[in-house]
Amino acid sequence: MDIYLPIAEVSVNAPLIVALGALVGFISGMFGIGGGFLMTPLLVFLGIPPAVAVSSMANHVAASSMSSVAAYSRRRAVDLRMGAVLAAGGVAGAVGGVELFRWLRLLGQADLVVAISYLVFLGIIGGLMLWESAGAILRRRRGQPPPPRGDRRPVWLYGLPLKMRFPRSRLYISVIPPLLLGGFVGVLSAIMGVGGGFILVPAMVYVLRMPAGMVVGTSLLQIIVTSSLTGVLQAGRNQTVDIVLATLLIFGGVLGAQFGARASARFRAEELRALLALIVLAVGLRMGLGLFFEPDEAFVLMAGVG
Amino acid sequence: MTPVATPPPQIPAPPTPAISAALTDATVRVTSDFSGARIVLYGAVFDPSAGPSDVVVLVRGPEHPVRITRKQKVAGLWLNSRPVVFQGAPGFYRAASSRPLDEIATFGTLRRLRAGLDHLPIAAPAEQRIETRYGVRDVVVSSLGDDYHVWRRAVVRLKQRAGLYEEDGAGVRFVDRGLFRAEIAVPAGAPTGIYRADILLFQNGKAVSSRSRTLTVEKVGLERALYLWAHHRPWSYGLAATAFALLTGWAASAAFRRD
Repeated sequence: MDIYLPIAEVSVNAPLIVALGALVGFISGMFGIGGGFLMTPLLVFLGIPPAVAVSSMANHVAASSMSSVAAYSRRRAVDLRMGAVLAAGGVAGAVGGVELFRWLRLLGQADLVVAISYLVFLGIIGGLMLWESAGAILRRRRGQPPPPRGDRRPVWLYGLPLKMRFPRSRLYISVIPPLLLGGFVGVLSAIMGVGGGFILVPAMVYVLRMPAGMVVGTSLLQIIVTSSLTGVLQAGRNQTVDIVLATLLIFGGVLGAQFGARASARFRAEELRALLALIVLAVGLRMGLGLFFEPDEAFVLMAGVG
Repeated sequence: MTPVATPPPQIPAPPTPAISAALTDATVRVTSDFSGARIVLYGAVFDPSAGPSDVVVLVRGPEHPVRITRKQKVAGLWLNSRPVVFQGAPGFYRAASSRPLDEIATFGTLRRLRAGLDHLPIAAPAEQRIETRYGVRDVVVSSLGDDYHVWRRAVVRLKQRAGLYEEDGAGVRFVDRGLFRAEIAVPAGAPTGIYRADILLFQNGKAVSSRSRTLTVEKVGLERALYLWAHHRPWSYGLAATAFALLTGWAASAAFRRD
């Protein structure tokens, strides 16, 4: 059953899009991530213009994060104050990111920046995760104890001004690192069509040293704020949000996410992380390697004449 | 008695060949299940002399400038060049004829009538200048030197691949004496707007009669409402789309709540 997307101006197979939404939702529920990094490339591969895919994903990310955050907030696993600081950075980052994306599209270099962002960020994060989780799996097989966690908080984090108390996370740190982190993730959200959880979560654990129980719920809060704003800005500035596409993805995504969350209980954490690391690496390489090979067709028509 | 002007004697006019044509549908409605349409054009050739005739059907969609870029190897990476803007490219073009166009008429005639993919008036404006466009510096809107034809052919090739341009030397079929038909395939990605179909009758390499018809491709119903909303009131559209997304997410978590 084909359905015509009014903004993308292409016709797609509706059950296929819903199934993709469900598959990515399943993965995102399983790993506690937004899944935008997986969905956006898939949509582009299906022939949806990249600008529309990136923008419509913002709505999908907002919906799936919203459906997960409620559960965390009932368990009091959300640090509202930290979330607000991250979101403040995210708002600035999203506004800047949407303008940056607009400018890159006009220059004709949006593809390049998207491909490099995927290659660099997914490559680094996937590589680190794979290294860490493979080590954990090997140690468990050999019956070794986990290495002592270096709990020493980085000095530079404590030397910065504008300190603030975060009682929920039992932290007393400068607001500058979370603001910068939120801003950076906001820019990525606008350019890559991702929520940014794959960067936010490790950074909150390893840089801000937040308690593990607080990290996912708080990052979801920041992602909701950033992706909602990105969705509104992309629609307002670039007119690239396709509500029909977003709705199809959302319906598949929220269903898949619920089943993914249940399935995740059956696996060991480090095995899940190793699997996720492989997916992240594969997507990053797939998106980035095109830069290194001679394309079949040297010419590319660009959307949006302006 | 007033003299009555006698009517001039009926001199039979020299038999002039003529053509007429019509479309089965003058409107293509783009609805939510739209996945392309096929329009049938049919017509007749009236030719008392019954000389050999050829029919050419040219369908042109609304004009859209084209931005195109070329992948170039820079320091081991394949990067986009500066985008080049081509003017005069129709958003949809189909040339259907009863024989291949170059057998019907000469290069000059085809060029003048803009008949055929080689004769579309697609051009990057001739004089060389680099100007600031759409707020971006260094956009080339000029002749591209020796590479110009490579670029122009690429525009046509990419549009052909998207199903937007086509030249079919057997696209017009005579189904009976003087009666012909042609099918026009409008793909899902075709631009909306007014299309013009020119139906030309050729004899001895000359266009001796022509007709033109218009075809409207328009979004209707929900597709149109959403499109207009997104483009005329983008901010309220964005707010509504985002609110809907958040609400759906919240509703899903409430529905699946287990604790």
